[in-house]
Amino acid sequence: MIKLLPRVFCLGLLFVLSYQSIAQTTSLPAIFGKVIDASTGEPLKGADISVDFKKSGVTTDTSGNYKVHVPYGEWVIKVSYVGYNPYRTKIYIKANTELNVQLNNVTKQLEEVIVSSAATKRDIQTPSLGVTVLSLKGIKKLPTMMGEVDVIRSLQSLPGVSSVGEGANGLNIRGSNVDQNLIYIDDTPIFNPTHMFGLFSVFASDAIRDLELYKGGVPSRFGGRAASVLDIKMIEPNTDKFKMQGGIGLISNRVMAEIPIIKEKLSVLVAGRLSVNDFMFKWFAPDYLKNLRANFSDVATKIYYRPNTKNTISLSSYLSHDYYRVDSLFSIENVVAKQTSFNYGHTNFAAHWNHYFSPKLNMMVSGSLTDYSTKTFAPDSVNTIDLKSSILYRNLTTSFDYQPKENHKMNFGITATRYDINPGTLNEGVISRVSTVKIPDEQSYELALFADDEWTLSPKFTLQAGLRYSHYYRMGAGSENVYAPGQMPSLNTVLRKNTYADGEVMASYGGFEPRVTMKYSLAENTTMKFGYNRQQQFFQLLSNNTTPLPTSRWKTADNFIKPQQSDFFSLGLFKTFNENVFEASLETYYRDVANTLDFVSGANLQLNPNIETQLISGKSKAYGMELMVQKKKGEVSGWVSYTYARAFNQMIGEFPEVQAINGGEWFATNYDKPHTLNMMLNIQPTTHHSFSFTFAYNTGRPFSSPSGSYEIGGKKFPVFAERNNDRVRDYHRLDFSWTINNPSMKKQRWEGSWVFTIYNLYGRQNPYSVFFKSTKAGLRAYELSVFASPFISLTYNFKFL
Amino acid sequence: MPQLYKSSLFYTILVGLIAWACVNPITDFVQVDSTSFTTIEADISDDAALSKVRLTSSSNRLTSQFSLPISKATVSVTDQNGVKTTFTEGIPTGTYYPSAGFKGAVGSSYKLAVKLLTGQTYESAVETMKAVPEIENLITRFETLEQYPKVDVRRAGFSVYLDFKDFQSEGDFYLWNWKHFEKIRLCATCTDGGRYDFKKLDCVQPRFPTDAILNYMCDGNCWDISTNNDLNVFSDVLTNGQRVVGRQVARIPFDNWTPYYFRLEQRSITRSAFDFYQSLISQIQSSGSLFDVPAETRFSLNIKSLTNPAEKVIGIFNVFSVRKKIFIVDRSKNIPIGELPIIPIIPGETYACPPGSVGCQDKVPCIESNTRTKITPEGWVF
Repeated sequence: MIKLLPRVFCLGLLFVLSYQSIAQTTSLPAIFGKVIDASTGEPLKGADISVDFKKSGVTTDTSGNYKVHVPYGEWVIKVSYVGYNPYRTKIYIKANTELNVQLNNVTKQLEEVIVSSAATKRDIQTPSLGVTVLSLKGIKKLPTMMGEVDVIRSLQSLPGVSSVGEGANGLNIRGSNVDQNLIYIDDTPIFNPTHMFGLFSVFASDAIRDLELYKGGVPSRFGGRAASVLDIKMIEPNTDKFKMQGGIGLISNRVMAEIPIIKEKLSVLVAGRLSVNDFMFKWFAPDYLKNLRANFSDVATKIYYRPNTKNTISLSSYLSHDYYRVDSLFSIENVVAKQTSFNYGHTNFAAHWNHYFSPKLNMMVSGSLTDYSTKTFAPDSVNTIDLKSSILYRNLTTSFDYQPKENHKMNFGITATRYDINPGTLNEGVISRVSTVKIPDEQSYELALFADDEWTLSPKFTLQAGLRYSHYYRMGAGSENVYAPGQMPSLNTVLRKNTYADGEVMASYGGFEPRVTMKYSLAENTTMKFGYNRQQQFFQLLSNNTTPLPTSRWKTADNFIKPQQSDFFSLGLFKTFNENVFEASLETYYRDVANTLDFVSGANLQLNPNIETQLISGKSKAYGMELMVQKKKGEVSGWVSYTYARAFNQMIGEFPEVQAINGGEWFATNYDKPHTLNMMLNIQPTTHHSFSFTFAYNTGRPFSSPSGSYEIGGKKFPVFAERNNDRVRDYHRLDFSWTINNPSMKKQRWEGSWVFTIYNLYGRQNPYSVFFKSTKAGLRAYELSVFASPFISLTYNFKFL
Repeated sequence: MPQLYKSSLFYTILVGLIAWACVNPITDFVQVDSTSFTTIEADISDDAALSKVRLTSSSNRLTSQFSLPISKATVSVTDQNGVKTTFTEGIPTGTYYPSAGFKGAVGSSYKLAVKLLTGQTYESAVETMKAVPEIENLITRFETLEQYPKVDVRRAGFSVYLDFKDFQSEGDFYLWNWKHFEKIRLCATCTDGGRYDFKKLDCVQPRFPTDAILNYMCDGNCWDISTNNDLNVFSDVLTNGQRVVGRQVARIPFDNWTPYYFRLEQRSITRSAFDFYQSLISQIQSSGSLFDVPAETRFSLNIKSLTNPAEKVIGIFNVFSVRKKIFIVDRSKNIPIGELPIIPIIPGETYACPPGSVGCQDKVPCIESNTRTKITPEGWVF
């Protein structure tokens, strides 16, 4: 206090003096210097000089010179100029001091890309529409939940991307169901993108280079899903220099290393993440949860080999694993068990060979494999349970990039996939009172030819036209029920079983998938784009839960389940302002999907060999408008987006008395949230620290509200006559994070940083669902909130360069 | 296998991990739709006392206490031999009983027909009564549920586990109900200074309420009846023909040392009834997790309208056989040291007529209801 008073006094005096333009006459020491543009060296006229965060009134003259008098002591000087990043420094004044400043022009600054609609980013090269690129560096700036950098959660701050609610498994992109999105990590598919039933995404953030999200204009090299593609690429390890980074957080610990083996030729990437939750249960959980175990881990590796300038070879793997154990009380339905454990995970491998024939032609050959397995077990009781399921995906792809002319590029190739599914095997080879159940394995092939051609016809008009032909074969060995004609498939209407030998085709489907996008420049910084896509899906998730369980069954198409087919139209307008500092976009879309699946009322999907008796096939439609304004550069950056989006289903089969939902009328899907507003703000005053805020608002999701109540056996139950006829309360949330980089501020090989995060800053109890329970006082409605209070976390990250 | 796990399992993990997740009651819930449906609850059993048909119009309010009974309907059940049994309306209204002596038989098939005064007719599918195995064994074990605080009566108690042998035939479905009779000494409690009116058979409030609470003794034997609140069903789909061991059927509170009268009922139900109860369980028992299945009432499951096939009918034609067993649970044994029962304390004074007063009554009658009886329960030994 004693120190502070004279300074306040002096500061007041200083301003009086300077405002009266008699500063020159004072005997106080001066700070003086020149302010110039860092890139051109031009002096900047009219730059403001602030002292201790207050305007001094002093500005630079035509030569960029300034002079300001301050009392002896320590001062914070800030030099700012419109369109330039401000400069701040702390300076101890003992005598007249020269301070020359170079300011960086914001427009010439490299973009700190957090999110970019590739549409404008690669404005000239590509007409792609509905494509978003996220850099991991950008994602790391967003506030996190419990300190875990989370790809899936971060994506939800983008327009058009949402989920059923917090803690839900998977994404809904432009009105898609979770299984309609293809998620790739280094070209191997991920079937369950989350750990802990949806709380955290499976991707170890350190191993990721960037993500491309294709919400609309999906290139023809991608196929097999009806809606969108999330293409995650792993880092290519540095061949020159050893690097290491990692972090210690509340939920998990991470480490990643890039290890050059042969300089400029061979290097290895290893990244791992391990959860550390068990101690929380042991120490903090109430007694009844002390035996709960919940662990997960991820390991990503990549070997990168470049024998010469014409060839590169990479081998990558991605392993994820989850393990849980829960005490008695809860068990598999219709089995008595004291304790249930289960684990699940991915084992993914990919090999890539790139060969450069010439600067105009190169080839990529890749082979990939994904094994997603789940196991549920209760070994220590007479009712032993051992339930397994798995998906084995194997793919071979060859593709070529050919650029005959500067304005003409092509990508074409051939791809073949084989699926082997074990939909569920209970107690095979296990001695137990619980019987052995084996749902027959499913085998299928998906073959495709694809070609994309991108042609800049004129400086204003670019066309990207693609075509994919996919053919699908459901293969034997297997069997299939034949039901009485004109009667609904049920156990009572089975006439016989058709059996198929090994290698025999049981069902096949195929079709062309045109993909077109075009770009037309209306003005120098304004473009308009149009896109149309057709996509087919032969492989789907069977789940009637609000969000799918990790153990939900995947099923390939057969004679009862027709492939889904989506037609997607979009139109967009893009504009950049102020030399790309600002970017605005408006995109609209409409999607129509045939053969989407739902389930009859009270469907039994548990180890059901005749799953076709439980299905209803129908139609989906989704439409929307996404408006986004971004400031991409400068001390303050961020975005605001507003989305209006709707998603509906119509489910009515040939036997509507059973095979209909909502009487066959259109109804809102679980993820139909019409209004969404997202805001992200990043403030980076210096390279040493930054602040971020994110705000999310959306209309509450639909739920089924009762029409009344009735009594059975002296107990009351609600009447649910309509699906999704009401909505939960609106959702909104504000998050905050503060990142301090290299707190020691010294240049050294080991660089630490701290991230302090508050998720749900104002602690809103956002509803996930509304449900009903019978109490002694009658039926009551309840609301479930998942993250119902602010959550504070601190993470330590390090880099060793 | 999406439905394979009880969703509560996942909910527990989530709640366990994220102690800040929460469930709040909605006090101002507003319905967006209000509709009434014809509700038919028809039970045919090999226990003569359990066969009855109840016809109501469902309430269009979630919170309403009563459904409107449908009176003066024609109700009959026909068996596989074409023998028709007519059900006649009794008490309460809207409930129809078979003539004395009617009893369902295991192996017989039944079909229900209902005609309302308004002309609507309903018919059920044919349902066959299945045999039910004997309840072999019941095990009670003292267990504490640590999610409840020490002062909560739900924390300490006896879990009741059941053993039985499933039949060799496939497709057996079970349902358990239990009843507990607690002998009571006090038959009425008048709060706020109220007095018991022996003509109205109810408490009468004074004009100016006070804090006084008066309890009245029963004028004879009287028992309070409590029943299971939750539905409990099981299918032999994964354990056909096996001895099913350790199925939890109830939980007995540790609210006294006294013996506990417990009557368990084991029913063998049809597939339709199992599906129906299962849907009720998913709607209100296992709801409230991240993984809920769609809340849908299973309309017209095995009862359909003939006059208007599109009509949504609520209810079930439930054909079942039943076995009962009475157990007296000794609540004084195998209690861990330090565990004491939470004995409920009834506040207030017990009313007694002043000595020598003439015509004064201080004992109130035991009024028959779903939750109270003066009839000595079967097997009562105390």
